[in-house]
Amino acid sequence: MGKGSKDKRDLYYRKAKEQGYRARSAFKLLQLNDQFHFLDDPNLKRVVDLCAAPGSWSQVLSRKLFDENIDTDSEEKKIVAVDLQPMSPIPHVTTLQADITHPKTLARILDLFGNEKADFVCSDGAPDVTGLHDLDEYVQQQLIMSALQLTTCILKKGGVFVAKIFRGRDIDMLYSQLGYLFDKIVCAKPRSSRGTSLEAFIVCLGYNPPSSWIPKLDVNTSVDEFFQGCYFNRLVISDKLSHWNEEERSIAEFMACGSLESFDSDATYHDLPSSIANTISSLDPVQGPTNPPYKKALELKRSGKLTRSV
Amino acid sequence: MKDVSHYGPALCTKFHNDYVLAGYGPFVHVYDYRSNTLISKCRMFHKNKVHGISISAGEEVLAYGARSISVVRFEDILKNESLVDSEKINSDWVTNGEFSSDGSQVYLLTCYNKVLICDLSCEVLSSKSLRGERSILYSGMIKVFAPDKVYISAGTVMGGIIIWDLFSETKIHNLLGHEGSIFYVTLSNNGSFVASCSDDRSIRLWDLDTGEELSVGWSHTARIWNLKFFDNDTKLISVSEDCTCRVWTVMESQKNITELSISNIYDVHLSKNIWGVDVKEDDMIAVTSGNDGRLKLIDLHLERHGDEETSFNLDEISQQLDIVFDKNETIKGFQGFSFGIVIITSLGKILQFRNTTKQWKLLLTDENFVAYSITNGIQAQNIVVFSNNKKDILLIRFSENGDEVMHVEQHHTTELSKTNNCLVTEYDEHSFLLTLESPNPRDKLLCLEIDFQDLKIKTKHCFNKPENFASSCLASFQNFVLVGSRFSTLAIFNLLNDDDEPFIIRRLCPGDTTTSIKFVENKNDSTVFSVTNRDGYYDFIELTKSNCESPHPPFSYKILHSNKMMKGFLEGAFFNSNGEYITYGFKSSLFYLYNETNCYELASEVCGGAHRQWKLNNVNDGHILMYIKSSRLHLRKMYHSVFPETLEKGIHGREIRDISICPEASADTDGNFKGGHIFCTASEDTTIKLGYFDNKTGRIRNFWTQRKHISGLQRCRFINEKLMISASAREELFLWELNDKYDKRPYVTIRQTLPTSTNNPDLRIMDFDVKFVSQSGDFILITVYSDSAIKIWYYKEEENKFELITEGRYKTCCIFNVALVALKNQLFVVISPTDGYVVIYNVTEYVPFTIDVTSGDLADNKLDTLVSGLPMPVLQLQVHQSGIKSLDYAVDTMRTSAAILTGGDDNGLGLSYLTLDAVNTPALKASDFIDSAASSTITSGILINGGEEAITTSVDQIVRAWKITEGKLTLADEKYTTVADTGSLDIISNNDNTEFDKTLLIGGVGLSLWRK
Repeated sequence: MGKGSKDKRDLYYRKAKEQGYRARSAFKLLQLNDQFHFLDDPNLKRVVDLCAAPGSWSQVLSRKLFDENIDTDSEEKKIVAVDLQPMSPIPHVTTLQADITHPKTLARILDLFGNEKADFVCSDGAPDVTGLHDLDEYVQQQLIMSALQLTTCILKKGGVFVAKIFRGRDIDMLYSQLGYLFDKIVCAKPRSSRGTSLEAFIVCLGYNPPSSWIPKLDVNTSVDEFFQGCYFNRLVISDKLSHWNEEERSIAEFMACGSLESFDSDATYHDLPSSIANTISSLDPVQGPTNPPYKKALELKRSGKLTRSV
Repeated sequence: MKDVSHYGPALCTKFHNDYVLAGYGPFVHVYDYRSNTLISKCRMFHKNKVHGISISAGEEVLAYGARSISVVRFEDILKNESLVDSEKINSDWVTNGEFSSDGSQVYLLTCYNKVLICDLSCEVLSSKSLRGERSILYSGMIKVFAPDKVYISAGTVMGGIIIWDLFSETKIHNLLGHEGSIFYVTLSNNGSFVASCSDDRSIRLWDLDTGEELSVGWSHTARIWNLKFFDNDTKLISVSEDCTCRVWTVMESQKNITELSISNIYDVHLSKNIWGVDVKEDDMIAVTSGNDGRLKLIDLHLERHGDEETSFNLDEISQQLDIVFDKNETIKGFQGFSFGIVIITSLGKILQFRNTTKQWKLLLTDENFVAYSITNGIQAQNIVVFSNNKKDILLIRFSENGDEVMHVEQHHTTELSKTNNCLVTEYDEHSFLLTLESPNPRDKLLCLEIDFQDLKIKTKHCFNKPENFASSCLASFQNFVLVGSRFSTLAIFNLLNDDDEPFIIRRLCPGDTTTSIKFVENKNDSTVFSVTNRDGYYDFIELTKSNCESPHPPFSYKILHSNKMMKGFLEGAFFNSNGEYITYGFKSSLFYLYNETNCYELASEVCGGAHRQWKLNNVNDGHILMYIKSSRLHLRKMYHSVFPETLEKGIHGREIRDISICPEASADTDGNFKGGHIFCTASEDTTIKLGYFDNKTGRIRNFWTQRKHISGLQRCRFINEKLMISASAREELFLWELNDKYDKRPYVTIRQTLPTSTNNPDLRIMDFDVKFVSQSGDFILITVYSDSAIKIWYYKEEENKFELITEGRYKTCCIFNVALVALKNQLFVVISPTDGYVVIYNVTEYVPFTIDVTSGDLADNKLDTLVSGLPMPVLQLQVHQSGIKSLDYAVDTMRTSAAILTGGDDNGLGLSYLTLDAVNTPALKASDFIDSAASSTITSGILINGGEEAITTSVDQIVRAWKITEGKLTLADEKYTTVADTGSLDIISNNDNTEFDKTLLIGGVGLSLWRK
């Protein structure tokens, strides 16, 4: 989030700045919680935030689980945030710069939890978008499945899993697959997520895997192999190509989250709510701009080195 | 529902003998690229898109895409419309596929860096992988060097490229250097090099033996998607998100350093993404395939004709001719002909260069043309024209082959005090026109008619020069001379009467200098001209002759079409033999020749920019660009391509947000665009395209790409057979007028722009609707905005003005859709905001019209127009949980009830009824709601057949047909569309006596034409 916002309509962006969140997406989790109250459970102890950078969801978790005024870590409550990218520290959150698909990461989390299972796992991760819709949707689903692999190894029975999805062509296949692991799957759209975006969240309630299935992370098994026997991942045996058949699909219940009185992320606001109006342009960005891979290309372009010369 | 045609992303392309194969959605298209014919369109997969194609020596074809693969005979692709029965599914995404050395097996690389070895019936024989390396890949490549030497290169998401040996399953290299995900990696045929590209926008060249990074190539301005070595691994071709294809030279310098250097750039696709590229080495041509659905052939042979680029300075000419030039002597002017060129120096030496002999020849030296001269020519007649500032003109005519000077003629004129400008244009079969202008504003504009044969002056005209006039281009038609000037002005003089005041058109566009005027076509008493302006604008104007006995003014004029080039200077334009509009000019240091109809660069030359002497002339088989750079005369021939320029022209390269089909013209259809319809598409790329589709074949033809909007389009809709409205963010709403009476193409221009609420508007206009005043061109327009504003405007055709009559605001949320619904004598506004409600306003008393109870049109009863606030809603009903993305309605025959169809972000499809009872009390009732009518957002829904049926599109890529009986929706049909991000739909009825009575256009990333 930069200092000046081009997008005047984005009240959530302003609100995030005001409340010290690193990204506007914090409100997505808050609004999901307004609907499902998974973070209001007094028994909530161990939570995992996957693909956590820059950390706005971890901030929400931290504020929900810990009283800001008491500066002592509860022995029982633990938040672990995992990402491949480094993250600046957040109070009460243990950050791990690690690969969520690696068994070592699982071991480290379990270690932090004293070998107890997690109550709640979430992921707001999204891969780079290429513009090839089918590939982008596939990679996003693979990311969810990777998060889910770790989740199945760490989540207690009855636990909750929440993840970002893009509702594209094959989203119903994902719903169908998740149905084998959880009692209830809901497709939730917080009001802070733009209506013009395909983004939504799967809220998977009541973790309940098949009793015969034991999840086991291994660097040499594919996501597909991991879920063999769970039985969900399509009736395909790995290393055998099957004939085309329409795959199992189901449509998850849709639920809009956040009250109708909350801000509309598609709207342009003129008269700003007073709580926000005063603070806007003066706030510094909470999280510095990222370091994109194409930084050097941008520098070359700015200095005129990429101007067409042939 | 039957699919007829599809235009959309072409993800891969490949040469095979005289064919080009392309993955086009789930289809493989096969073209004969020499004759530019589509030979076969064969469906390979049920749903998945074809991402890659490999062909074996034995003519087996391996197609793969997503999790699908298929191995079929090439001849079967040519013979069949569908081979989906051969489709096989893998459990993971297939990133790459290749035949084994002897063609008996296929290797499939999955996105988890595993290779399946299969036989040709797709039975898996074995699988190979590299232990511990299975993170997801965006790219990877199988390279078969020999039966027992197969290398896998895997591009990871973390910047590393892992090269491993397939059979030993051992790692050879992990190449580190890139930042971000690797998007493509390829190995050279000779086994020396690896080339790769990543999110960092560089191309890196590596030594395959040592794993050393040899060179980094920077040039692309966005991500690079595909690379290929060619020309014995001495060159590399790359294609990118930036819509260019670039050629690189792999150079080995003396010190044994191998470098990658950029050698050519081709700007050939529409924003954004070129996905595929292949090169046919024996022809030295490339084919590229893009998100715009275009298949573009690019001639890589820079010296196919041998004389593409030549240059001279006076020293070189001096040596060849054995004459001496003064040390201060420079080239002052040049003119190109099919035989070669003619130049004049600052000391009046006139020299000729002939293509056949490659020799220079001094023709004559004329003292009169020392220091100041202007050079012109009539190319078709081989006549060169020189003029000076002393009122002299010198004319030379050459023989047809240019070998001989046939005639030389000199004239001195006395009518002007001085001459500083001279222009020429062909006039009739025997003569051309030459204008001379003086810097003195009181002088006349002199126009000479000169005979082609004897170069004598046939007639002489002294016209009254308009004020503020500086002639810049010339054209003639019938007995008129059209002269373009600065201040985007055009003056038309009558050759039959010198004393007639010229007919002047001022301020044709916002630019300054008029750079060209070209006759385009005529019909009845009207003639169309294309007029270009240096500042990038071009207009098509229609001149219509007056019918009166002594007509004054002799014409009326109308702008038929207006548009602007993206950037740079526009120096001229013409139509080529295919009826495509070709523009030329400068973009920074580049001269370009551009196909404006289909939007791609034809040729370009880095000449240093517009500030130099230059000229573009037609020659037999193309054009010649002449320019001076660092005292050198450069001759650059731009030949017509020896290959077809495109195999598919394509459409928008980004999402189509709205589609509108022009309704059948009510009268005066003379068959120009019969058998199909004119339609427009509004895209995320900020352009609107005007095209035509053929109902039966589904073939689409592009006419224009309008660039008036500066933000991504939201809506476009024909509101009758000649008016169209488009709307987008930044409060942009334009009223366009279509003219389809000419034979060659329709024209479209902006008639009016809607006023904005502030000078720096940041609101998005989300939707609009109109209602016409009965038997009139006047209408009411309602617009809804992202800040919940609702505005009603009155458009009066005669005054050409939008007048605000009502405004108000719903709440603070964004409004996605609006409709004006007339029931009995009441007028209602229906809106659908992001809160999921259908909200009804009764605006009957707020518009200065009554409602015609039989037609629902507005009736003009001369009521006063009063600006007033919008009333409170009369009815509100929550139909959806969140944003309503589509809204359509159908009024029953009694006009007492309207069915309202709403599609939501909540996957729901709602059917509600707005009804009026006997005392005109409105009621709104939910009649049916299907909560999982799609597995993702429903983006458009249209009621057809009077509201008895509906068609919906949704992001799950399923088009659904619904039956509506007694207020209930039932699914009648559903069919998958390959158009991703499916977001727009328009439907028109056919009367072509086939089994299909409707044509559907489905838009998103691509465009499909279906019949129902």
